[in-house]
Amino acid sequence: MESKEYKKELMELKHDAVPGYKPVFLVLFTLGFSYMAYILSQPCF
Amino acid sequence: MTTNILPAFIFMIGSLLIPFFRGRAKSIYMMAIPVAGFLNLLYLPTGDHYLVNFAGLELVLLHVDRLNLLFGYIYHIISLITVIYILNFKNNVEYVAGFMYAGAALGVVFAGDFFSFFVFWEMLTIGSVMLIWARKTKSAQAAGYRYLLVHVFGGLVLFSGIVLHFNQTGSLELVKISLSGISSYLIFLGIGINCAWPILHPWLTDAYPESTIGGTVFLSAFTTKTAVYALARFFPGTEILIWIGVGMAAFPIFYAVIENDLRRVLAYSLINQVGFMVVGIGIGTQLSINGACAHAFNDVLFKGLLFMSMGAVMYRTGKIKATDLGGLYKSMPWTTLFCCVGAASISAFPLFSGFVSKSMVMAAAAKGSYLPGQASYVIVWLILLFASAGVFHHAGIKIPFFAFFGHDAGHRVKEAPKNMLIAMGIAAFLCIFIGVYPKPLYSILPFPVDYHPYTISHVLSQTELLFFSALAFTLLLLAGIYPSEIRALNLDADWIYRKLGKQIYRTLDKGLNPLNSFCESIVRGVTTGLALFFRDAAAKLSLFVAVNFWLLAGYRDKRLEIKKNRLYNDISQGTLSIGIAAAVAVSFILLVLIIIYFKEA
Repeated sequence: MESKEYKKELMELKHDAVPGYKPVFLVLFTLGFSYMAYILSQPCF
Repeated sequence: MTTNILPAFIFMIGSLLIPFFRGRAKSIYMMAIPVAGFLNLLYLPTGDHYLVNFAGLELVLLHVDRLNLLFGYIYHIISLITVIYILNFKNNVEYVAGFMYAGAALGVVFAGDFFSFFVFWEMLTIGSVMLIWARKTKSAQAAGYRYLLVHVFGGLVLFSGIVLHFNQTGSLELVKISLSGISSYLIFLGIGINCAWPILHPWLTDAYPESTIGGTVFLSAFTTKTAVYALARFFPGTEILIWIGVGMAAFPIFYAVIENDLRRVLAYSLINQVGFMVVGIGIGTQLSINGACAHAFNDVLFKGLLFMSMGAVMYRTGKIKATDLGGLYKSMPWTTLFCCVGAASISAFPLFSGFVSKSMVMAAAAKGSYLPGQASYVIVWLILLFASAGVFHHAGIKIPFFAFFGHDAGHRVKEAPKNMLIAMGIAAFLCIFIGVYPKPLYSILPFPVDYHPYTISHVLSQTELLFFSALAFTLLLLAGIYPSEIRALNLDADWIYRKLGKQIYRTLDKGLNPLNSFCESIVRGVTTGLALFFRDAAAKLSLFVAVNFWLLAGYRDKRLEIKKNRLYNDISQGTLSIGIAAAVAVSFILLVLIIIYFKEA
């Protein structure tokens, strides 16, 4: 059953940034968003 | 008349005998109930049976057609799976309530008239509340009461609609209803409450995570799917359902992402999946209704599987919040595997069950957009696409990631008990079997199926969507943008009654209570004054008249005081001699006559 070692209750589980990934996210987000905007601007939509 | 037994009665009567069995016999007996029910179902002839005359009403206790048979099959399958899952709990309340609840759901789907439909509909509430209360915690008790209030209100709305409908049509026959007139709207709303439409949904996210481990699996299967059945029966092709369904599919995603309680995350994803079904019914084509029904069938399995895996985690660790979990794949590898199968199914990965049904609804929306005047279906399709990506995000990735992978919370526990693993294994097998070979499922759908999910276009577009969604999750996490898991209670529409309602109550309390006190003091002052006046009025008026006579007669000081006291006591105690009383009365009458005379003059 439950391990006795783990008793402390975590109030918040943070997801710390791994250095270098924020620019990657921003570049890919911009590219993805632009691609979606292009698709939605096509006449079929 | 059929020789078969009513499906609901097998479960309901069967459940009453459960407490009389012990040990292994009890386990065998409980598993035998859904098996016997399923065999009975296989031989049910289509049409109306068990016609009963009750209080002058023609009731049809059993109506069988392709639509309700589909729901009947899956209800029996999930009942068997859930019973196997809860065999080790030894909780008679949970067993009996679970079977009663499942029986009521079967009663609703096989009812052939509005009266029977309503009676079983209300029994659903009783069974489900028992499953919530069976957890015996304070929060479960409170959530159960809130659940009960909402569903009793929903039942009353539905009942009012049925009464008005009967009054207008003179018939209790279950027929397609068009939205016109108050009765149809009341029936529509009554069903909508059980279907967890946006704003009407908080009962679901509030109560389901508070139920027992097995109770949540039961709950996830019946109430909302029965409402979906009712919508498919009464309101197919009702356009407003498309927009309600779109709302249901989209809004839970945001709340599920920030939610810390993993069973509550699944409750949100339940609303999201029911949204797809509601859209399918709203579109109303044969493809979309088939898609909605097929998705209801699959959802019962994969949502049950996900709830079972979270239940197993809760059973072993005693925890269910993401902040307390993580790293369990080492201790519970089979549960992890089954959870991943459920996650892949709900996310509609190719070769998993969600793919073969969700894509039918999506295809129906896409097809609809080509129809003249139906350009808005493009928006519907796009939102459903977003909802598909979102469900993968919160149910497909978040659930397995935070429970079994992610940060190691240090739990070193045993694998789930064997019966739980067997139950999860059966559900996982069915999720994969239907995903790989959907033909048997398609063959029991309400309409003939001419649909092929495994086309290059379907597979590629869905895989692309899922991989991009996975990429988004990974990058959000690594870039530190993904919201933290916080031990907190997130409110959505329940903010209306938990916060706004409380604030309105306080405002009214502070504003109206002082006004109430002020009015009360005025009323009390006036009434006290009047009471005092009328208590002494006769004596004082008599004294006023008599004292003047006595003064004229020469009475002074002590003698006058004695006469005054005597007269006052005589009048107030009612011991006045008749002659004096008559004199006083006559003098009053004279006084009144004099006043009237002078007034008229």
